[in-house]
Amino acid sequence: MNKFAKWGLTLPATIAVTLLLVVPVLITIATTFGESKGIFSTYTAFFNSGFRTGILYRTLRIALITTAISLVIGFLTAYVIAQMPGRLKSIAIIAAVFPLLTGVVVRSFAWLIILGKNGILNSSLISLGIISEPLSMLYTEGSVIVAMVYLFVPLMILTLTGVLEGIPRDVVEASASLGAKPIATFFQVILPLAVPGLIVGAVLVFTGSFTSYATPQLLGGEQMMMMGTLLYQRAMVTFDWVGASTIAAIMVVITIAVVSIMSRIARRLNPMAV
Amino acid sequence: MTVSLTIENLSAHYGQTQVLKDLSISVKAGELVSLLGSSGCGKTTTLRIVAGFLAPTAGHVRLGDRDLTTLPAHARDIGLVFQNYALFPHLTVQENVAFGLKQRGISSADRARRATAMLERVGLAQLADRLPGALSGGQKQRVALARALVIEPPLLMFDEPLSNLDAKLRVDMRVEIRQLQKANGTTSLYVTHDQEEAFSISDRVAIMNAGRIMQLDTPEVLYQKPANAFVARFVGFENLIPMKTIARDGAIVTAEAAGGAKLHLSQDLFGPIKDDFVLATRPDGLVVRGQGEGIPATLGTRTYLGRAYQYKCETAAGEITANGALSEMFEPGAKAVLVPLPEQCCILDPENRDTTSRPD
Repeated sequence: MNKFAKWGLTLPATIAVTLLLVVPVLITIATTFGESKGIFSTYTAFFNSGFRTGILYRTLRIALITTAISLVIGFLTAYVIAQMPGRLKSIAIIAAVFPLLTGVVVRSFAWLIILGKNGILNSSLISLGIISEPLSMLYTEGSVIVAMVYLFVPLMILTLTGVLEGIPRDVVEASASLGAKPIATFFQVILPLAVPGLIVGAVLVFTGSFTSYATPQLLGGEQMMMMGTLLYQRAMVTFDWVGASTIAAIMVVITIAVVSIMSRIARRLNPMAV
Repeated sequence: MTVSLTIENLSAHYGQTQVLKDLSISVKAGELVSLLGSSGCGKTTTLRIVAGFLAPTAGHVRLGDRDLTTLPAHARDIGLVFQNYALFPHLTVQENVAFGLKQRGISSADRARRATAMLERVGLAQLADRLPGALSGGQKQRVALARALVIEPPLLMFDEPLSNLDAKLRVDMRVEIRQLQKANGTTSLYVTHDQEEAFSISDRVAIMNAGRIMQLDTPEVLYQKPANAFVARFVGFENLIPMKTIARDGAIVTAEAAGGAKLHLSQDLFGPIKDDFVLATRPDGLVVRGQGEGIPATLGTRTYLGRAYQYKCETAAGEITANGALSEMFEPGAKAVLVPLPEQCCILDPENRDTTSRPD
């Protein structure tokens, strides 16, 4: 392949990404520095508002908790799936991925039905005599986290199954032959070798849940606003475009920061990771 | 600490297929025994059972006076060298070698000292801080060897350790493995499909076929006195000629091949000769001559081997490969006589489909 072909083939995608993503993002961010009250006035306004920083911290907290729970559930499930014989493995992977076939809104809505005042969970608990009054589970951080974990675990399972399957059997056997008990093999060999997958999975889930909109809108409501819903409100309800752009810029910066912290952790645990 | 390895009446199945059939081997303390055979003969299965990665359906594995059969792999204390090296890609060379010591709860200072000493022995001390990804195949296998040796295991096992290396390195490495094994006096089990490798490195070699041991002997005995047709073919006795004894005169037996060719064979040389037997020779043990006592043949394709000419020969006993002197070249189609050299022949029982392993 000659030089022209090599660069030429990537040209359409490069142009599309530049015009449709890079330029608009730069324009959006540029508008936040153009206020008459000073370059950083929109940011000081954001961080001086307890309401808005509260939403930022809540979003970070929900995203991190969702990521942590998804990592644990996803890793354990993927570990079991990776050990399965061929046929069973395909069935298990299809079962894990099945929820992805429906949309985010539908899957979030399902939790409204499960967690609602007269929902399946409350009526079951009342029938069992465990509680007498329905619990209010909706519009809490918990309901948002539960729905997001459900949303993102399939992605985590897919990512981690691939990585765990890629760990050669003889490396695990070598560890055993050198006297490592199964638990030691897990922590000293399997886990470090799975780190690249854990990081990819964690980045996917973190960015997905940090920027999510539909799930907090449906299950968090007004009380449990997250950055995504706040941004929507600023842009589409109050038409404060500069305020919305400020929120977007903060989200971009935090996402990049978290991703780079994660890959730094990965490098420490496993020098071969990205 | 040198102990013997005893494998008793081992059987193994993959699903319905029996891959090991009542296999018994004993490796003496300090000895290196190779399991040699083509793929699917059960040699790797045997090693995996001894290592504890597979459970046998019957039989026992003993190391010294310890019965390993039901112990988990991590409790067996066996040094294992893998075909694909199986180094830990996320650990440095030094950490790889120290891994087994760490599992044994040895202090980090001691670990470092012993790992460094072992790396020096395999000539890799200067690469201690590299990751395995930055090493060549030969270096990786040295690290794997150091990692297996540093735990001072009572038993070392090798699973085709050299098959991923190029030819010259293979020869150097096998010498090195043998030297280290002898110096430590570690009882060893070595799996390979390469005959030259097995013969050059081993005290004794077990030739395996279809889940059984066909013969377990020193390389010299296997090479010169195979016990059965399978081993004979394996070590290069290409010509197996069925014979019938027609007369006995003291130590001399007169035997006849198909087509009526008669040979005189001395029982002083071959031991007792039965009425029905097979005369086995390599092409070198059967000389193509213009005349003499031998098997009449029509010569076919001739190839030049450097030290001799080799002929494909048609005889009443079937196709035979024989060599002829450079000084006496025959053209294809010529009639000649194939004269066996007694000291390069051996006498086998007629081929028996159900060949059982010879008692050790």
